[in-house]
Amino acid sequence: METIFSYIIEKMKAESEGRKKAFLDFAYDKLIKEFDQSLMDKYIVKQNQVNQLSIAIPNASVKKEYNQIIQVPSDLGDVELIGLTDEEHGLSIQKQEDGKSFAIKGTPKVAGTFDLILRFRYESLLPDRPYIERKLQIIINPDPRQISDERTIPTNWETIPEPKYFKEDTQAEYIIVKANNNGTPQNDMVAASKRGRSHGWDGKPRDDHFKLKYMDNGWYIMAVADGAGSAKFSREGSRIVCDTAVDYIQTQLIDNSKFEENIHLYELSKDDSESEARKLVGDDIYKIVGTAAYRAHCAINREAQEKNVPSKLYATTLLLTICKKFSCGWFIASFWVGDGAICLYDKNAHTAKLLGVPDEGEFAGQTRFLTMPEIFKDATSLYQRLRFNIVPDFTALFLMSDGVSDPMFETDANLNNVDKWDELWDNLQNNPESPVHLIDDNEAAKDELLKWLDFWVAGHHDDRTIAILY
Amino acid sequence: MRRLPVYILIDTSGSMKGEPIESVKVGLADMIATLRQDPYALETVWISIITFDRDVKQILPLTALEDLQLPNISTPESGPTHTGAALELLCQKYDEEVNMGSAEQKGDWMPLLFILTDGKPSDILAYNQVIPKLKQHLFTNIVACAAGPSAKTEPLKQLTDKVFSLETMDGATFSKLFQWVSQQVAGGGKTMGVSDTTELPDPPAELNLVI
Repeated sequence: METIFSYIIEKMKAESEGRKKAFLDFAYDKLIKEFDQSLMDKYIVKQNQVNQLSIAIPNASVKKEYNQIIQVPSDLGDVELIGLTDEEHGLSIQKQEDGKSFAIKGTPKVAGTFDLILRFRYESLLPDRPYIERKLQIIINPDPRQISDERTIPTNWETIPEPKYFKEDTQAEYIIVKANNNGTPQNDMVAASKRGRSHGWDGKPRDDHFKLKYMDNGWYIMAVADGAGSAKFSREGSRIVCDTAVDYIQTQLIDNSKFEENIHLYELSKDDSESEARKLVGDDIYKIVGTAAYRAHCAINREAQEKNVPSKLYATTLLLTICKKFSCGWFIASFWVGDGAICLYDKNAHTAKLLGVPDEGEFAGQTRFLTMPEIFKDATSLYQRLRFNIVPDFTALFLMSDGVSDPMFETDANLNNVDKWDELWDNLQNNPESPVHLIDDNEAAKDELLKWLDFWVAGHHDDRTIAILY
Repeated sequence: MRRLPVYILIDTSGSMKGEPIESVKVGLADMIATLRQDPYALETVWISIITFDRDVKQILPLTALEDLQLPNISTPESGPTHTGAALELLCQKYDEEVNMGSAEQKGDWMPLLFILTDGKPSDILAYNQVIPKLKQHLFTNIVACAAGPSAKTEPLKQLTDKVFSLETMDGATFSKLFQWVSQQVAGGGKTMGVSDTTELPDPPAELNLVI
């Protein structure tokens, strides 16, 4: 260096002062520009190296503990990661001992996408660039339950087109059956139905329905229906089928001595599985319960015709039971189309008997509806959906829509597992947040049951309906 | 856990380079951000993205919305549009990734499929061959979107009756398109008959239904 400058000075001795100065200025400008440019080039090379580093920061979720090690795969020198604090985000960053990986830990408090800065110390000799930075992002998912609770709105009936088919967002009922003359307590019925959270999100109505009826001659009638989420008027479909079926059955059970005689006959000969009495009772159920289901199917068709729309807009499932205590034990008969569950549960005998087979497809949410013509296409297909049983006693008879059975049981295998029914029975009565006191004549149980239906299971936010005879 | 699989097929051929693909990226990112705000989508939606130009790639395997990070989408300078190969890959991924129901396992919700293209299939033979195969893979809805003036709707009509055309390929138009798609996705996962398809909400004004 020294020699170059002394050489130039020597050469310029003969030049005027003005030329000397101008030359030096010229040389300086030219050199410094090239010098800075070369520094900048090096800087850009480094910056590109930094930009190309593959760095993955997995997403976090509000209220879920997070603990990740973020590797920075480079030997580019001293590095920092900044942008998260315990106070603001619930997450903090700690540099690890190896000097190039970082632990991000904590329980996130806020949802959003947050910028992080990855900063390498780099002596670039460029005055305004003391380090190399790269922007990274961390995504914090919201807590679904929190945003769901914040945004649940009542059904917005104004925006719902005619016919509105008004329906309350919840329904609950308790039917007390008083102890008989000799003081023996009688079984009661309780049911609750609640609009699903996913409907609450956009102000849509409840599509489920139920109806309970106790007749003075000892018959218990229960119906639960789940209107299809994809069908526009299914809320009315579910109401129509519950009301029609239960009303029809009542007319058939008011005076039913022949039917009850057949039940007794069957009980006497029940060890003989091919007995004539079995056929008689089966045919009675076909006439009473099967016809009730068919009438419900027809009632929907009539309503659809009147409104001049296809009946599938009223698509709904139907779970239907009749039940009475005789000297020989409890008689229970059922009809079932669609998903959900009807189960006769006996805690002491440790049995849980499904009174039918849920209709499910290959995909979630696929099922059969009472509105489908194939359900009633011939006597055999209808017969297959009917069941009857006589049992000495039982703990509870459950009817529930898939809004309850899916989150509680998830699979068909579990529905057939009595241990899972033990869990449900225990959960109902001993739920820490909202226990249901299923004791005789406890009318408050209907509101407890409605509250119990608020349970949270990820991914299950359909309408929920449960009816219990106990 | 019942998942709602959503397959998104995006044309990344050379003609998409520049504003169109940048707008698609922004639209996708907004869609993901919107869906994240929906508690029910957040718990059920799983998304996969397949891009197609000369090469066909599943740039995002079926991933829970909760864990999803959008991968970079790049476009070559020019070259053919292998839509047929893309559908072939889709069928393969569907077979691998979608859970069918059984006694021991709850099935996924029936998947949704969105296809966005600004041209026409270059691999016509493969395209025609894959269509019967695709029909055996059930989707609640297949929505095909023909974007821009050179997009051909005829081939798309072989896939679905829900073919929409976008006249322009700017940011505002794509933004509206993806908002609409996210409504579709958020509305997915409903009880239905074993053979039904669901109704679509009204498309935005920018979308023209192809007749």
